[in-house]
Amino acid sequence: MSAPALFDVIGPVMIGPSSSHTAGVARICFLARKAFGERPEKARVAFHGSLAATWRGHGSDKAALAGLLGLHPEDERLSFARELADREGLVVDFVEVRESDPGLHPNTLRVELEGGGRKLSITGSSIGGGAVRVENVNGFPASISGELDAVLVRHRDRPGVIAGVTGILAAAGVNIATAASRRNQKGDEALLVVEVDGVPPGAALEAIKALGEVLAAVHLPSVVS
Amino acid sequence: MRTSFSSAAELLALVAADGRSLPEWMVAREAFLTGRDGAAVRDEIARRLSITRTALARGFKEPQRSVSGLTDGAAAKLHALAEPPVRDELWNRALAYAVAINEVSACGGRIVAFPTAGSSGIVPGLLWAWRDEREGDLTASSPRLQDAVAVAGAIGAVIAARATLSGAAGGCQAECGAAAAMGSGALAWLASGDPDRAFNAAALSLKNSLGLACDPVAGLVEVPCVKRNAFLAGNALVALTLDSAGVRSAVPFDEVVSAMKAIGDMMSPQLKESAEGGLAMTPTGLRAKAAMEAGFPDASRS
Repeated sequence: MSAPALFDVIGPVMIGPSSSHTAGVARICFLARKAFGERPEKARVAFHGSLAATWRGHGSDKAALAGLLGLHPEDERLSFARELADREGLVVDFVEVRESDPGLHPNTLRVELEGGGRKLSITGSSIGGGAVRVENVNGFPASISGELDAVLVRHRDRPGVIAGVTGILAAAGVNIATAASRRNQKGDEALLVVEVDGVPPGAALEAIKALGEVLAAVHLPSVVS
Repeated sequence: MRTSFSSAAELLALVAADGRSLPEWMVAREAFLTGRDGAAVRDEIARRLSITRTALARGFKEPQRSVSGLTDGAAAKLHALAEPPVRDELWNRALAYAVAINEVSACGGRIVAFPTAGSSGIVPGLLWAWRDEREGDLTASSPRLQDAVAVAGAIGAVIAARATLSGAAGGCQAECGAAAAMGSGALAWLASGDPDRAFNAAALSLKNSLGLACDPVAGLVEVPCVKRNAFLAGNALVALTLDSAGVRSAVPFDEVVSAMKAIGDMMSPQLKESAEGGLAMTPTGLRAKAAMEAGFPDASRS
């Protein structure tokens, strides 16, 4: 393996006590909130494996609340996330799943959000040192680190949709770092995840939303400041 | 620019061919990888340094007490120690600073994972102790202090490439052990300006923390982590002293890191952050675990 970037070693800036149980959880829940786009009416966070055993001591619930409130993972208000959630009327059902699942990383959480007639479920793992990987979005396998800004596009599995999206990004001068598309079955729904360098312009996102076969598109900001 | 390396030998060869110093090259590499300019990279190093200094001040200002009660103001006690038995201010400051920063982390304060939260006091503790004792004119904005961070980062990056910086994957040798190697190298670089000396000090330090288990009580990043930040800061200063005397590590840094990886792979999962072995399984450890699972009924605050 090649050496990581300096700020991956000296970082992240975070709220203690644990990079994997606090910072990682805050990041995954922040990404879930941004992917959902607004404050959910109902929220459920399931802590699996090692997280199920130690979430109380690590304040993983506060970290999750902060993320679901849309607080950036570096935000010191994380310490008061319970009070902030009460004030905003955000109620989260925390669940422990003790049985270890060999298919899951030992530090995994599943976030389910509901509101405005929409549902979102995200499975993410905190893989060490605050680094995370969102592995599943609404049943679609994914691999999102949150290190870069990303665009998530839910679309019908038809010819030309991916070209349409990448064409809009190219015209906006946005460089694509990674792109991956998954579908449930041929001709059905698909999820396109595009990680980009820099922040994609709002106009580009609107143009993507206006594409014919696109059902929804959302900008996921980087969890790194 | 070629940015890929996976050993100190490769890194130092790249730097020698480039002509810039090791930290200058690391800053240029970061700028290239993240698409910003060198000044922005230095500003971000300064911001991260400042966060560690704020945490340090907070750790001394009031005794840090965690929800579990396992962290209970050790830094404040060290700070108040009137007649330390070892009479060297760099030593005493480094131990106290490392604990102060790590206690703030354990109590939910803002810190920099350096390279992890559990080891977050060691490198900044050493750097600020050096600054306060040896070079009082340095600030987070000083290129020299930023360079020391870049040297620490280079050492950590090689460990990440050849082994791991995760306790769950490699035990505490990969967290506090790695941090001490990074810190000793950063100070050796401040003392000598010589990248070879930095990696020699890092090798000396890392050899002495090989095999260190990660067996946290109740799975919390508190026991033994907080006090270990002081012990490993001391380890780094021993390595610095040996390096300053011209003592060379018989095994070069890259080989020490490979040994660390091999040892981590041989370690039982029970000793790698799972809280299923060692100190976690002592009667005291099990009582702390039971208290946590009951939601800390004795805790004064939540």
